[in-house]
Amino acid sequence: MNHRRHFLRSATACIGLPFLDSLGFRRFASASAPAPAPSPKRMIFLGFGWGVTKETWFPDVEKTGSEWKLSEGLAPLQRHKADISVIQNLENQYNNEAHWGSTFYLTGANRYAEPGKSFSNTISADQVAADQFGAETRFTSMQLGSADAEKDGHGPGLSLAWNRQGKPVAGWDTPVVAFHRLFSEDNTPLTQRQAMLKQRRSILDTVMGDAKSVGRGLSQTDTEKLDEYLQSIRDIEIRISKEEQWLEVPKKQPTNPVEEPSDSLKGWQEVEVMYSLLVAALQVDATRVITYRQPGGTSFLQSLNQTLTGHNMSHYSPGARQQVSELRDRKQSELLAGLLDKLKATKEPDGSSLFDHVSLSYGSNINSIHYLTNCPAIVSGGGAGVQLGQHIVADKGTPLCNLWLTLLQGSGVDVESHGDSTGTVPELQG
Amino acid sequence: MWSLMATARERFQSCRASETFDKRMGTRESLIYVFSKSVPCTLHERTGYTPARIRTLLKLQRNRARGIWTKKLFFCPHSLVLIFIGLATTLTAAEPKAALPDKHFTFLENYCLDCHDTDTQKGKIDLESLSFNLGSIESAEMWQKVLNTLNSGEMPPEKKKQPLSAEKETFLADLSRQLVTARKLLADTGGEITMRRLNRREYENTIESLLGVQIDAKDLPSDANAGGFDTAGGALFFSSDQFEQYLKLARTALDRAIVTGDKPQTKTVRNEAEEEANHRISSTFRGYYMGGYKKIKKLEADKTLKPTDVGLDDQQLVDFFKLVWSRNSPPFSDYLSRVETRDGALLTIGNPNPQVGLVIPDEMPAGKYIVRANIGVMPRSAPENCFVEVGFRGERFDAAMELLDCFQVRAPQRKPEVIELTVDIPPLSKPLEIDVGSQTKKRIPIGERVIAFRQRSHNDRNAIVYHHFDSLKKTGFGPEPTLWIDWVEWEGPIVENWPPVSHANLFFKGEHAQKDEAYASAILEKFARRAFRIKEPEPSYISDLLGHYRSEIEAGKSFEEALKLPLSIILASPGFLYLREPTEGQTKRTLSDAELAVRLSYFLWSSPPDAQLLKAAADGTLQKGAGLIRETNRLLLDPKGMEFISGFTHQWLHMERLDFFQYNYRLYPGFDDSMKMAARQEVYQTLLRLIRRNLPIGELLKSDTVVINELLAQHYDIPRVNGRQFREVKVPDGIPRGGLLGMAAVLAMGSDGERTSPVERGTWVLRKLLHDPPPPAPANVPQLSRHAGKLLSAREMLEAHMEEAQCAQCHRKIDPIGYGLENFDAVGKWRETEYTETARNNNVSKSKEHPIDSTGTLPDGTKFSGFYELRDAIAQQEAAFARGYVEHLIEYALGRPYGFSDAQLADQILEQGKKAGGSPRHYIHALVMSPVFRTK
Repeated sequence: MNHRRHFLRSATACIGLPFLDSLGFRRFASASAPAPAPSPKRMIFLGFGWGVTKETWFPDVEKTGSEWKLSEGLAPLQRHKADISVIQNLENQYNNEAHWGSTFYLTGANRYAEPGKSFSNTISADQVAADQFGAETRFTSMQLGSADAEKDGHGPGLSLAWNRQGKPVAGWDTPVVAFHRLFSEDNTPLTQRQAMLKQRRSILDTVMGDAKSVGRGLSQTDTEKLDEYLQSIRDIEIRISKEEQWLEVPKKQPTNPVEEPSDSLKGWQEVEVMYSLLVAALQVDATRVITYRQPGGTSFLQSLNQTLTGHNMSHYSPGARQQVSELRDRKQSELLAGLLDKLKATKEPDGSSLFDHVSLSYGSNINSIHYLTNCPAIVSGGGAGVQLGQHIVADKGTPLCNLWLTLLQGSGVDVESHGDSTGTVPELQG
Repeated sequence: MWSLMATARERFQSCRASETFDKRMGTRESLIYVFSKSVPCTLHERTGYTPARIRTLLKLQRNRARGIWTKKLFFCPHSLVLIFIGLATTLTAAEPKAALPDKHFTFLENYCLDCHDTDTQKGKIDLESLSFNLGSIESAEMWQKVLNTLNSGEMPPEKKKQPLSAEKETFLADLSRQLVTARKLLADTGGEITMRRLNRREYENTIESLLGVQIDAKDLPSDANAGGFDTAGGALFFSSDQFEQYLKLARTALDRAIVTGDKPQTKTVRNEAEEEANHRISSTFRGYYMGGYKKIKKLEADKTLKPTDVGLDDQQLVDFFKLVWSRNSPPFSDYLSRVETRDGALLTIGNPNPQVGLVIPDEMPAGKYIVRANIGVMPRSAPENCFVEVGFRGERFDAAMELLDCFQVRAPQRKPEVIELTVDIPPLSKPLEIDVGSQTKKRIPIGERVIAFRQRSHNDRNAIVYHHFDSLKKTGFGPEPTLWIDWVEWEGPIVENWPPVSHANLFFKGEHAQKDEAYASAILEKFARRAFRIKEPEPSYISDLLGHYRSEIEAGKSFEEALKLPLSIILASPGFLYLREPTEGQTKRTLSDAELAVRLSYFLWSSPPDAQLLKAAADGTLQKGAGLIRETNRLLLDPKGMEFISGFTHQWLHMERLDFFQYNYRLYPGFDDSMKMAARQEVYQTLLRLIRRNLPIGELLKSDTVVINELLAQHYDIPRVNGRQFREVKVPDGIPRGGLLGMAAVLAMGSDGERTSPVERGTWVLRKLLHDPPPPAPANVPQLSRHAGKLLSAREMLEAHMEEAQCAQCHRKIDPIGYGLENFDAVGKWRETEYTETARNNNVSKSKEHPIDSTGTLPDGTKFSGFYELRDAIAQQEAAFARGYVEHLIEYALGRPYGFSDAQLADQILEQGKKAGGSPRHYIHALVMSPVFRTK
């Protein structure tokens, strides 16, 4: 037991101190305040399950570079055209699951890579970034999701994120949960909170004691299974260390406070509120890495007064169903445009906009219907230094992971490759 | 086996014969020459050459025979003959293999190798040296790519020679099947059972069995995995939030299980239904609607007035009040004018009185309550409307509710009858808890402690609104009231023992015991033992737990309160959460008696063993055949056995599809949640019948008996079935029911809520009944949209499948089965014609009727002229069906995917089960008796 605690202490020590500026601590700094610290890089990964309407979502492949026109499905993004790039022909070569829009989206893994198992996955791009960016914020990374994800074409998983062991990472599935975690202040007296953290630690010690005896005599596979439990206990310990570190730092409120969302938000309203929360979270530097597994199925359609189920819509053919699918595309583009507005309008301490420091990606592992090649992919934001305002038609079969690698490296993450990447997307690097 | 040996011997002999050849040619090449005649299909395996290489060599040999020699291939690996002999003699049993028949080399040669041979390798794709054996991850991946490219129509390129449709179809069919085999082979666990975490169902049941309280674990992460059962240990992950959720759920359960004070008084409270309803309805009508209407009248009378002058914010609000007045004044005034509302309440679908509610007051504790209503039917009501639904009220008055049950009401309004049910009322304000550091923000959902009664209807606000509009048009005042409620009442809490058994189990020394640390320690140890099932808790663990108790005491908590923390820690510990079967360094080990008891009870009850099962384990009778069978029967026939029947069947038959769709209210007004609930029950009750009566599994394919209640009887047009309990009914002549294929649940699953899907139905039959699953729907196949927008029957639409090889390879088998079921509409009612329409914004623009053509052919060539012959032909395939059932049973019971390494086990179970009578129960017996079930 001692040994483990020792490890944790040293792990805690590695967790860097937060930037003073981002925490509103400047008032304690010396009178001759230095120039504001440079704004940190942030990454946003947005994923929707059911793909898009391929006939009307993708821009004309004949017009690339900066000479391109927005497609019908992307039309609501017109005002941001110079600030987004659309990349075509990206794919996850191993994915053959026609209804799994998110499981391998950020990982590029091969479901069958491990002999003797019918499912395996690897770390997702956001978690790679979180390993590097997560130490300085209250939340190492933030996973947003929705309650109906199982029926929204996302495939197995608890969020877009998968940890280093290739296991699913859970997220906050409703705006109201995200709101309280991010902005609700804990009014319990400090000593009491410290005592509770101590108690939580000691609970972990107790169950680890049992885990040790449970682990005795187990087969190799069972030991690996138990490791999932142990890993989650370790994760909580790190979280507690972090909470301890942040205990006396009040939760910073965004300049335009977000109201407590209603419980019953569904569909596009839910996405809109999550987008607001996401911007607010970045503004107060609560985290620097966010994934959002967006609702885009049945509940989304219901919010657009459509009765089709998500699955039925995804199997559109020309006519009524395709119209619904297109309606969904336009609404999603409209929401994205709204998010970009907010990112641009949100100011950083140095006067730049949040947009300049964010690397945003938006897409799905599904193109449309059962098509898995040419995954829809849009990037935006100035954080990764990628070329914006471009329409890029990459070589057929370019790994989607090349995009993740481009964004990770561009954002300053020290990483050589990701998933099945074969390099970066050169056109994005100008 | 003998024929295989003979082949091996034959090969050996021909091998010797070939030695003479060696003098003229290289050894390996000579082998090829010989075997190309005798065993072409395995040539590449014998030689290690790829089929493509072999073909090149054969071509060369033919040339040589004609005197043409090239230098290129003149080498002689002499050792190969010996290697081959070794291979031949060790060849004993038919190992499952994923290999593409060599004959398909021609396909590659003709359409692919021009660009993708070893020399050219266009796009770095070399198909010439690609092994036809799909047994490695690399080759499976490569073949997957070949399949994908062919499916997408990307290859061969348009300007190149294209394969004939039939050729492509055979190639694709073989390749996609072999890939499925390859994936299964590669994923085979070799029989290893991974330790599993309790899934959500098991967790809820285990908590209930330990603490005697029901909890709702739906906030735990979903156990849904990549296509397997929720018992598959390998796929049951643990994520970091989960641990804290377990602690919290345990705390909720303990708060209910541990009681203080005196036995709560049982109360009975009756509300006259009209009191609340009349007040609410008349104040809404006279106050809200009429108030708004009067303002509008004023505004209309004096054109100089602006909306704000009469107290309305803007024109929008004016329009709103106009609209709601026109929609609501007829039903509200009609309601209030009816004489029956003076001493009771009428139920209407939508306004004015969609529900009669019964509130369990805040001061009442959680627990069991009996809820009653005195209710009658209005004269001349349609029988299908005479059902009352009871549930927890939803968030809105007219919104969806959490359905508990549905009762048929037969008594007339003037002589009403009492319906009653027992409901588990949750503690007050079971909150949606959100952790904010150490503090919890509580949000209290509405309706948690409100029981609502309503007329049977679609559980969806839109449907209720539509119904209201439709009936407003029809009657002028809205829905015709059917049900009348005199009064509603609750009685509770119903407490049998005080303190409850669960409490007494924890505090085992009774209420007068010395509440000291020694007692606390004993309580913790006793509970940990029960919670851990088999494993002994370590003394250090117990002392850690006691430490938590101590710090809670120091914080000023009472004895009982202080124990809740350590008790909840036990329920979040791995000893409790995982079904542990240590191997102690051995590869395979026979389970101990206690372990067998745990495996058996989680298989059949999804719960821990009870005292009797533990006793059988302790006295050694469980390991004896008769004892094991006795316990298996007892568990199966116990009410808790329904856990197996529903848990297994739901997943086996893929019944979650029933919840995928909102069945269209306008097309299928009768297919509401109550009907869905009954339809699902029918499947379970039918399986239960076979188990109870030891009837053969073939009864699920065809039967002269159905197990239904009155709701389903109405759906099936079977007369004289009254009451909500399920019972056996002989199928009357001319009624197309009996067996899964006639069940509403199965047929409704094969639709999208609006139209039937012959593809879904056909695939389901192949997967679940004929045990001949088609490969998964491939990615990237071009969608057929030529017919879109035309008014075609489902069958006409699908016939386009035959035009493309990519589709035809599977749909040739799938679609015709679906055609045979086309006489059943999207919710499983019989029809003679299919009705199609195109609609925009609820206005039908075009419509057409198509007579049903339900003729077709099964994959084995059997022709059928319609549903009855299709069902007969499928009923002939009982053996295949039983095999599918057994394979799924193995998977569910052992908690791991069914693999090829299980083939022998499945054979045994099938043989023994069949011999014993072929009931689902017999196969279960054979499974639990098999050595595998008792082995870790």
